[in-house]
Amino acid sequence: MPTVEISPDALRELTGHEAGDDELIDDLFALGLEFEGRTEDDEFELEFAPDRLDRLSVEGVARSLRYQYGDARGVYVPKTNSPEWTIEVDGEVPDDRPYVTGAVVRGVDLDDAALDSIIQLQEKLHATMGRGRAKGAIGIHDLTMLKGSDALSASAEATDGKPTVRYTGVSPDGDRFVPLDSDSELTPGEVLTEHPTGETYADLVGGDRYPAIYDDLGLFSFPPVINGRRTEVSTDSRDLFVELTGTDQWTIDKMCVIVCYALSARGGTLEEVTVEYAEDAGGEHAGRDLVRPDLSTDEKRLAHDRIESVLGIDLGPEEVIDLGERAGLDVSREGHEIEEPEELAYEVTIPPYRVDVLHPRDLIDDIGRAYGFNDLEPRYPDVSTVGGRHERSRLEAAVRTRLVGLGFEDMLTFHLTSEEATFEAMSISPDGEGFGAGAPPRIKETYSEEYTIVRTWLLPSLLSVLENNTHRAYPQDLSEVGFTARIDDAETTNVAESRHVAGLVARNDAAYEDAKARLQTVVRAFGADLETPPAEHPSFIDGRAAAVVVDGEEVGVVGEVHPEVIVAHDLEVPVAAFEFELSALE
Amino acid sequence: MELPHAQAAVLRAASAEDATPIDELAAETDLPPETVTGAAFELEERGLVVVLSREEESTTLTEEGDEYADRGLPEVRLYEAARGLDADPVPMGEAIGRAGLEGPEVDIALSNYARKGYGKIDSGTVTTDPDAVPDTDSEAMALDAITAGEAAPSDEVLDRLERRGLIERSERTERTVTLSDDGVTALMEGVESRETVGQLTPELLASGEWRDVEFGAYNVEADAERVDGGRLHVLRETGERVKDVLVGMGFEEMDGPHADADFWINDCLFMPQDHPARTHWDRFALEEPSEIDDLPEGLVSRVERAHREGVGPDGDGYHSPWDEGFARALALRGHTTSLTTRYLSGTEIGEIDPPARFFSVEKAYRNDTLDATHLLEFFQIEGWVMADSLSVRDLMGTFEEFYAQFGITDIEFKPHYNPYTEPSFELFGTHPTTGELIEIGNSGLFREEMLEPLGVECDVMAWGLALERLAMLTTGAEDIRDLHGTLADLDFLRNAEVSY
Repeated sequence: MPTVEISPDALRELTGHEAGDDELIDDLFALGLEFEGRTEDDEFELEFAPDRLDRLSVEGVARSLRYQYGDARGVYVPKTNSPEWTIEVDGEVPDDRPYVTGAVVRGVDLDDAALDSIIQLQEKLHATMGRGRAKGAIGIHDLTMLKGSDALSASAEATDGKPTVRYTGVSPDGDRFVPLDSDSELTPGEVLTEHPTGETYADLVGGDRYPAIYDDLGLFSFPPVINGRRTEVSTDSRDLFVELTGTDQWTIDKMCVIVCYALSARGGTLEEVTVEYAEDAGGEHAGRDLVRPDLSTDEKRLAHDRIESVLGIDLGPEEVIDLGERAGLDVSREGHEIEEPEELAYEVTIPPYRVDVLHPRDLIDDIGRAYGFNDLEPRYPDVSTVGGRHERSRLEAAVRTRLVGLGFEDMLTFHLTSEEATFEAMSISPDGEGFGAGAPPRIKETYSEEYTIVRTWLLPSLLSVLENNTHRAYPQDLSEVGFTARIDDAETTNVAESRHVAGLVARNDAAYEDAKARLQTVVRAFGADLETPPAEHPSFIDGRAAAVVVDGEEVGVVGEVHPEVIVAHDLEVPVAAFEFELSALE
Repeated sequence: MELPHAQAAVLRAASAEDATPIDELAAETDLPPETVTGAAFELEERGLVVVLSREEESTTLTEEGDEYADRGLPEVRLYEAARGLDADPVPMGEAIGRAGLEGPEVDIALSNYARKGYGKIDSGTVTTDPDAVPDTDSEAMALDAITAGEAAPSDEVLDRLERRGLIERSERTERTVTLSDDGVTALMEGVESRETVGQLTPELLASGEWRDVEFGAYNVEADAERVDGGRLHVLRETGERVKDVLVGMGFEEMDGPHADADFWINDCLFMPQDHPARTHWDRFALEEPSEIDDLPEGLVSRVERAHREGVGPDGDGYHSPWDEGFARALALRGHTTSLTTRYLSGTEIGEIDPPARFFSVEKAYRNDTLDATHLLEFFQIEGWVMADSLSVRDLMGTFEEFYAQFGITDIEFKPHYNPYTEPSFELFGTHPTTGELIEIGNSGLFREEMLEPLGVECDVMAWGLALERLAMLTTGAEDIRDLHGTLADLDFLRNAEVSY
């Protein structure tokens, strides 16, 4: 789970509530932010669920707390001033990153803590909604360092003399700029190979054009990789220029809104920006002008009886409206004259920073949180059903009981293993004939060479347990009823999954007879007929191995394990073993 | 008089004049002391002997006590070393070096030094009290006395030595046997021993001879040979218990593929295709085979529409790409909720009508590194309830009932976020021994965007948790690898407490 670091002092300052740390931790838990511990700077480390991305900063958490404390009610939308700046989008923008958005924020009060908080918000938004900057990336710049004029604009008359920056493309070996945390001028291509941040995000750009943003003085941002040093934000910055680029306009617009709310909470005044997509620009807005940030609210209709049925409580309309407002929503009753409660409904206004409200159901959750879920009285649902186990699971349990009665220690080993353990250490080959052979399902990207396939049979797992327990007392009579799989075109998943029954006897005098005796007890206990015609199997000693034939069908193998296999598992004790398909006992 | 062999032997060995200790009788009769004791009490019941019991305390030196008796108590050695140096106060390091104190002895010396009034320890120096007389140190003298086997010193000193771990005190019962007058008479009249047999045999039973023989007493308290025998795996035991509870609560068990299409594992759960969990490397994608052959066509398009547009008149979709090829990719299921989506869709056992309860306790897979708290594969307990109308309160009531069966009460519900449930809760419970609040499950009411494409027109609530987590709670296991897997330690499994 991702975490966010929040200063409790800043929370107290921003909410105006002098809550003690413990009280604060409880209040945050109720918001769904779980206290994980403290950082070195004595900030709270909070685990957050990735729905309320507006709570990724102390400013956003404080806003939610103010609603929870009842100090704020209903939807709040900050005022915005009319646009002065324009972002022009031309046809040179790389096709895979067509969208841009932005905002100007003036008069921000940034101390070190506020600056850290804004940087953290940026990083957390990148990690979540921004999908590691691939879907959306944020750049924040010191506005006073930008120089925008019509000279830059291809169509001067269209911008009415307003300052302009241009979102375009740049060749990898094109214009040089000094990136953040660097002293030298680099081309975008050099940034990707020579700058640590560039190396990290190099995979996000490609081809012969990289995304770039220019002002009069030249390239100042290389999204989604890095900003230029010229426009770096510091605690002295008062006016900020925010730009976001990405693969989806809605996503970057929402990220932009969340950043704007946080900056507004730091005393900033929002100012709109005009985004001008040229006729030949990519994406779905070509030829259109957008005014951003998009602080428009959304409306959804919420039925009263659904609130009651999901929460399991009766509520009056005034209560619903009150709870909604405490959740930061505006709630108004639809048609006041309606008498029938089942027709009662509300029009709910959702603030623009909410990215998680996809359905009226999400609003019921908001109302439930405002009510306090832990205040609800649990009740056992008055619904009668008949329980029962799956037939396969009953059979497995019955076989295990029988095996345990014969003195076997029941094992529960991993389904994942390696070809080395499954085949080589057993002296068989996956494309060979014997029981256990077969093509195993193979894992794509593995961490460890020990876990690369799903096992095709169980005896290798049981032999591994023996190998890990040579220091433990013998006899070691082990059994398992467990999962196996192999590739099979006949199945729709192309994987045939089956359960096997395996048992082995490891003791100084273990012999074929010991395995066969136990095998036949198990098989006969299920009313099946067992034959053991001689068979060759490389895992077993020739002349001491047999096929397990149950009711006329060959379903397994039994024998004395071959010394080569025993030695390959670092064992010094004879082992006799059997394995067969569980389905043979059905 | 005819007596069992042991009683007859003890009677003959006992004396009317002297009280003979059991040990002596044992040596004389060549019987084990516990047999002699048993025989003595039986003889006492017949009125032939008098058994006297006396509690005796014995004191022995521990290894450490023995060493101090030999070399002197550390604090005494420190005092003497400090006195021997020509300064006061003396630098502590010098005094310690001279006293030859090492390791824990240093702390022991320092902590007892001031207590006994040998002087003061202050900021790295040692002062000595010229009036102290280490030769009369009561603890040192007591150690010497115990070594020499002399009379025990006062209880107070012994208590102190015991607290310092220098002595061990034990109590034992010393019993003596004296012949009574009746015993003397019986001996004079003559005592015969009855024959005893070691092993009851089929022959004794068949012939009826068992009626005339005496069975020799065994030392029934002696340790017996260890037998491990067969037993169910401890995690399986917990799993079976969970299944019992759920069946008892009216849940029916599900079964289905471990290797499955992402469609069933994620898309049907309204997980956007660019959700980090789906592209994250902890997903166990299959290299071979890589795709499922068939997906139900109508369902695929309904699921795609829900992802793109949402459901209902006011629904919104995700602003994420959706591709059927991605949905067809095979993986080892990251959760067993893929069984739930299959069952809800009607493709497994046909349409399911409310009310219904289903569960599974089956494996799920996570491509991660293996350590004491993380496994690549683990058992997920999955359960869901379908009814015409279900509320958050029903969900809470169901979980309270379930967890109460495992001794976990006072569950807390933390509002949470899952793409497929709303409202959603993480469930927290109090660890029975540490008192810590720990996460014990994840739950919620399935969203319309999940249920509508699957064709479900009523409410469904669901929850999941890892069986291993429950088992670690109930068995106290600290390394999850002992509980589950090929790296198992047989001794752990053999000695694990049975859970039921």
